[in-house]
Amino acid sequence: MKEVDCEGLTVRQINAAIRRLVDDGERDIVVRHPAARHNLAVATLTEARITIDGPVGYYCAGMSDGANVEIHGSAGWGVAECLLAGTVIVDGNAGNSAAASIRGGAVVIRGDAGARAGVAMKGGLLVIGGVCGFMTGFMMQRGTIVVCGDAAEAVADSMYEGVVYVGGAITKAGADTVVSEATADERSEIAATLSGYGIKGPDSFRKIVSGRRLWNYDRRERGLWAAAL
Amino acid sequence: MCGIVGYLEKSGTSGAVGERLLAMLTALACRGPDSAGVAVWGPASRGLKVCLTAGTAERSPGTLTRLEAPDDDVAALEWSIQALRPGAEIVSVGRRLEIVKQVGGPATLEAEFGVAGMGGTHGLGHTRLSTESRIDLSHSQPFWAHGIADLAVAHNGHITNYHRLRRIYEQEGVRFYTDNDSEIIGVYLRCKLGEGASLEEAMEASVRDLDGSFSYVAATADAFGFAKDPFCLKPLIVGEDADAIAVANEEVALHAVLAPPYTAREADAGAVAVWKVVAG
Repeated sequence: MKEVDCEGLTVRQINAAIRRLVDDGERDIVVRHPAARHNLAVATLTEARITIDGPVGYYCAGMSDGANVEIHGSAGWGVAECLLAGTVIVDGNAGNSAAASIRGGAVVIRGDAGARAGVAMKGGLLVIGGVCGFMTGFMMQRGTIVVCGDAAEAVADSMYEGVVYVGGAITKAGADTVVSEATADERSEIAATLSGYGIKGPDSFRKIVSGRRLWNYDRRERGLWAAAL
Repeated sequence: MCGIVGYLEKSGTSGAVGERLLAMLTALACRGPDSAGVAVWGPASRGLKVCLTAGTAERSPGTLTRLEAPDDDVAALEWSIQALRPGAEIVSVGRRLEIVKQVGGPATLEAEFGVAGMGGTHGLGHTRLSTESRIDLSHSQPFWAHGIADLAVAHNGHITNYHRLRRIYEQEGVRFYTDNDSEIIGVYLRCKLGEGASLEEAMEASVRDLDGSFSYVAATADAFGFAKDPFCLKPLIVGEDADAIAVANEEVALHAVLAPPYTAREADAGAVAVWKVVAG
C-alpha cells in the first residue's frame, strides 16, 4: 500500500502522483488530507483500489474505468460522473448529480444524495443509503437506482429506461412514470445487493419504470408533454 | 459563479467570526476574483455603526469609511448623510452589523480592513465573479438591505425576475443603489419584515417569489439562515460541528473552519433554514 499526501499539492500534482503509482503497478493507494479538493482521482483506468481518507469536492473519481474508489467522508457535486466500470463508495453524503451519466460500475452513497442523482444514467448501479434529492434519475436511459430512504419530488422524471427502487416515501413521482410494488424476487435481489455493501435497507420497495408515453410525440397527449416540459 | 459563505457561533458568544469568514472566502477565492466582502454582527454599539463610501473629491470612489452615529432612526440617518454628502453611499447601518467590501480577492480585503480581527456571533461573506453589472465597491456583496438596521444578504446566482420586481418596488418609492440583481433580495426581505414576517417566513416566501437560480445567505442581529432555489441549481452545503454552523457553496470552505468530524450535506431544492442567534 502506498500513500499520497495532498498537503501542499495542487490537484494536478495529486492526480499525477496517483497515476504514477498506478502505472508503476501499485494496486492499493491511500490518499491522505484531501480537504474537499475537487477532481481527485479522476480518469483512473486500472483496477486499482484508491481510498480517500476524508471529504472530497466536485467530480471525484469521474471518468474512471475499473478503479475501486472509497471516500471516507462526504462528496461534492458530480461524484463518479461518467463512470464506466468499477465502484465508487461514499461513506457520507453526496452533493448534486452523483453518478451522472454513468455507463457501468456501481456508485454507493451510504448517506443522503442531493438533487439529480443518477441523471442521464446509461447503465450501472446507483445505491443511496439515505434519502435522495429533487429529480433523482431524471432522464435516465438504463441502469438501476436503489434509494433506501425517501425520494424527493420528481423522482425518475422523463426516464427512458432503467428502474428506480424507493424504500421510503415518494414525494411525487416524475412525469411519465409507472409506480408499482417490487416483487419478492426483486426485493431479494435488492437485499443481496445492499448486503454486499453493508447496507441494511427497508423490507419493501416501490419500483418506478418509464411509462414510455414520452418516447414519441403524440398530439393527442399534448397535456402529458405540457406537464413534462 | 461567485462564492457565498455564512458562519454562526452556536454559543452566541463573540468569537473570531472575521477570521473564520476570511478562511472560508480564501478557500472559495477561485469562484470570484472580482471583489470580496464580509458582513459581521459584532458587539452592540450605543449608536448605529455606519460604513459608507466617502464620495468626496479627496478620497477615491470606492474607499470605505467606518464611523458611529449617536442615532436610532435609520431612515433619518440615511437622509442626513445623503443630504450632507450627496455623493456618499451607505454600505451598512446597524447596531451590530458592519459590512466591509473591496474590489479584489479576499487577500485584498484582509489587507485593507483587517477582517481577521473582526469579532462577532455570526457573519456572511461573498467573493464575486461579475457577470452582468459593474465591478466596483457598490456592486460588491454582501448587501445591506437599506432602511433597516442589521439586515444583510449575500447571493450566488441570478434573479431573473429582478427587473419586474425592481419596477414594482420603485413604483412604491424604494430606491435602488446598484444595477446588481442581488440587491433585490435584501429589499424583498426588508419589505417582508416590515409587514411583520419573521426572517424565516420572509425567506420562505422569497423561494416562491424570486425566480432564477439562487442560493443566498441572510442574517439579522438575532437570526441567520440560507435559502435555495426550487430547482437546486446553485450549490450550497451546510456543515455543523460542536461549536458552529457553516454554510458555503463548496465543502472546501467548510473544511477550512469546522473541526472534524463534522456533518456536511447539500441543501435540498427550495430549502430554507434559519437559526436563532443565541444571546451570549
